[in-house]
Amino acid sequence: MNHQQKTYEQKAYEKIQKKHEAKRPLLRNCIVAFFVGGLISMIGQGITYFYIYFFNFTEKTASNPTVATMIFLSMLLTGFGVYDRLGQFAGAGSAVPVTGFGNAVISAAIEHRSEGFVLGVGSNMFKLAGSVILFGVFSAFVVALIKTIFTGLGGG
Amino acid sequence: MKIKNISKLSILILTILLVQACSNSDVDKQSLMSLIKTTNPPPISAIKDPKEERIVLDIQEEVLSNEKIYDVAVIKGKTDVLVAYKVKHIHRFRMKQIKGELKKRLEDQFENVQFTLSSDYKIFLEAVKLQKRTEQDNLSEEEFDEQLKDIIQLSKEQT
Repeated sequence: MNHQQKTYEQKAYEKIQKKHEAKRPLLRNCIVAFFVGGLISMIGQGITYFYIYFFNFTEKTASNPTVATMIFLSMLLTGFGVYDRLGQFAGAGSAVPVTGFGNAVISAAIEHRSEGFVLGVGSNMFKLAGSVILFGVFSAFVVALIKTIFTGLGGG
Repeated sequence: MKIKNISKLSILILTILLVQACSNSDVDKQSLMSLIKTTNPPPISAIKDPKEERIVLDIQEEVLSNEKIYDVAVIKGKTDVLVAYKVKHIHRFRMKQIKGELKKRLEDQFENVQFTLSSDYKIFLEAVKLQKRTEQDNLSEEEFDEQLKDIIQLSKEQT
C-alpha cells in the first residue's frame, strides 16, 4: 500500500476531476434496483405458489424447483439478449436475485462459445459464477459445522 | 428473425404447459382462494358423531383464540388430528415458537389425541380440498382417514 502524501499536482488534478466528474444518480439507482429486484422476487413467489398449487410441493420443498425455474428463465432471457438490457437498467436489482447467477453463467458461456465447447464454454462457464458456488458451499459447510457443534453440546 | 422464432416457440410451450396444468377439477378451483384470503373452513371429523364434532369445534375455537393466528382448518381422523393454520404476517418470524406453544396448549386440553400441526400453505390447501371433497363426494371413513394420513405424511416431508 502506498501511504505517501499526495503531491500538489495530484491534488490539483483531483480537484479538476471532481469538478468534471459525472455524478452517479445514487438515489435513482437504489429505487430502480429495489423495484426491479422486488418484481423479480414477486415473480419467484408466483412460481412458488404455482408449484404449491398444481404439484405436490409444500412451502418447504417448493423453493428448489422455484430456484431452478428462475435460473432457467434468466438463462433464456440472457440468450435472447433481454436480461442484459434489464441489467443495464436495474443494476443490482437484477444481479442480486438468483436470476443474476443464471445470467453470469450463460453470458460467460456465450462469450467463450467461439473457443469451442470444452476449452471455451466448459472452462469459462463458471468464471463468474464459480466463486458464488464456492463461497456458498463453503459458508453452508461452516454454518452446518457450527450448528452441529451447538446441537451436539445440547444447545438445540 | 431466428431468435424471434425461438422466443415465440418458448412462449407457446410455456403457455401450453400452464394451460395444461390449470385444467383441474371444481374442488381445486374452489380451494384456490384459500391460499389468498381467510376462509376458516368448517372443522370436520371422520366419524360422524356429535361428540366428535364438538371436539373439532373446540379445537378450532382454541386455535383461533391465539391472536397471532387468523385462519385454521381442523380435520380429525380416527386417531389423528390435523391442524393447519395461517400465522399473521408480522408474527411469521416466530413460527417455531408459536407452533410449540400451540401444540402444548392443545395437548394439555385434549388428551388422547394425536396432533399434527402445520403452518404450511400446501397443508392448509390440502385440508380445504379434503373438506370440499367430503362435502361433495361423501367419502367413507376409511377413504377419509387414508387421505388425511397422506396429508400428514406430506407435512413431514423435508426435501
